[in-house]
Amino acid sequence: MTTQLPLCDVAVIGAGPAGLTAACELAESGRNVVVLDEQGAPGGQIYKGVEKVFADRPQDIGPLGREYAAGKALMSRFRQSGAHYQPGVSVWQITSDQEPELALGLIENGLARMLYPKHLILATGAMERPTPFEGWTLPGVMTVGAAQTLLKSSRLLPEDDVVLAGTGPLLYLYAMQLKKFGIRPQAILDTGPPLSLRASLLGLRALMTCPKAMFQGMRWLWSAAVKMNLIRGVDLLKAQGENHLRSVSFEVGGHRHELSTSLLLVHDGVIPNTWLSMSAGIKHHFNEIQDCWVPQIQGAGLTSRDCISIVGDAASIGGAEVAMLQGERVAREVDAYLEDHQRSETLIESWVLRRQRWMRSFIDEAFPSTAQFQLPENDIVVCRCEEVTAGEIRTVTERGCMGPNQGKAFTRCGMGPCMGRKCGLTVSRLMAQVRGVSVQEVGHYRIRSPIRPITVGQLADMESSLNGDNQSLLSADSS
Amino acid sequence: MFRLRTNSTDPVTFSFEGHEFTASRGDTVAAALLGSGVFIFRNSAVSSTPRAPFCMIGNCYECFVQVEAMGIVQACLTEVTEGMQITKLSNSIDEHGMDIKEVSKE
Repeated sequence: MTTQLPLCDVAVIGAGPAGLTAACELAESGRNVVVLDEQGAPGGQIYKGVEKVFADRPQDIGPLGREYAAGKALMSRFRQSGAHYQPGVSVWQITSDQEPELALGLIENGLARMLYPKHLILATGAMERPTPFEGWTLPGVMTVGAAQTLLKSSRLLPEDDVVLAGTGPLLYLYAMQLKKFGIRPQAILDTGPPLSLRASLLGLRALMTCPKAMFQGMRWLWSAAVKMNLIRGVDLLKAQGENHLRSVSFEVGGHRHELSTSLLLVHDGVIPNTWLSMSAGIKHHFNEIQDCWVPQIQGAGLTSRDCISIVGDAASIGGAEVAMLQGERVAREVDAYLEDHQRSETLIESWVLRRQRWMRSFIDEAFPSTAQFQLPENDIVVCRCEEVTAGEIRTVTERGCMGPNQGKAFTRCGMGPCMGRKCGLTVSRLMAQVRGVSVQEVGHYRIRSPIRPITVGQLADMESSLNGDNQSLLSADSS
Repeated sequence: MFRLRTNSTDPVTFSFEGHEFTASRGDTVAAALLGSGVFIFRNSAVSSTPRAPFCMIGNCYECFVQVEAMGIVQACLTEVTEGMQITKLSNSIDEHGMDIKEVSKE
């Protein structure tokens, strides 16, 4: 039962574009690299299943798009890089800086064990921003990202009655992909505001620096507006049904409309997945423009803990192309750090990276998060696990509850299995609203390990395997 | 919800609540169930309302199911295998004939 991982210089968590690029760079320069990923195949969310699609259903490459197909090259490079790949592994713990050495708690094939890398790179990517609204817990309501995952990994296509709602580039990308698979969604409900003057100006700048991406985006929007049933200015979205979604209702210009459907896909942009970085005690702050918590980054990917770097969307939302460029920079930074254990911040930023940032500032301005989802009405469930409403959060805050951690004791909000992943942002916002202070001041849930479920049995079994490891290390030392 | 999947080049047979279904090798349990027309995965522990996968990337924990010999798993992160027996989570209300909230009040 010894499934001992090799001793490694660098552990990378996450096999998306950022993690794989950093792993390739480091492995190719001779470092001993282990890549840990929860999925069964490399690619992250953006390139999910790309190797399998190329091998088993190449006819789907076209409809999924050029950007998706681009992932194939990275997978090939990774497979040849010499980096040690561990799919299907959950990381449930990163030891705190109070511990003598950096260690990761892993679960693989139902067994828990520890890994001791010299340096850790977190490339945990993004997740979709929570979208609390009436009926969002009904079966038949999913995120756009979830449906896209099902399309990439299993070629699951929605029925023609599907309704898309929300805002953000992914909403339109998915609509475009459906069109290429021959599906015309019943409606696309855009909850975003009209393009502001500032967004238009930023758009012009992005058009000059990243024309390809901008024209592509405009083509998606044009296609949705002309060839699909795009409805703009949507407000007060509701999902209705008893055991399953039956209909979607919404308001446009004060008039309520209703559509019968069995599948509603919502999206309100993406935010960094910070659960591991927060649990590791890394400093974070609230980014008002991107409306999300982000880790504090110095140089390319250095954090408040010398032995941990963060790269890609987990550090700041930038998309796959930025993630790969950042992966290269972070790899160089980590390589230098392993050499002399001195923090030397990489400050030089390539022209390509700066252009991408201009593109991002346009996207941030053009697709702000939806007001309806930001501060939901009192009767809306914000914590899906413990079924706590926005009203309960407001009430305890009015009664003197100062922050999300204390709120747990009063309401159990954030104490279910998802550990606040689907309510954390909303709860901080609601408390900030009631207290009249910034989200930064209210703070975020304290995230503690285990951040993935682990059984007592798994913990107990680990003790014996841990002793075994130590012995083998000791005997290696004495010889 | 999703179009039912009929043809698979590399089929895997599994069961959910005693009913047999077919999926493609490599599918996650969540994809296998959704592609078979199953749209209620469990009932919530608090109010017993029906639930189904929401995020598909392991974050929302809505897709919990019980798998024979594996225990409770996230359907979106678990690969379906030949002969896998999947059931809904035994609900606290069904099992003990009482509401978990009522018990905690006592």
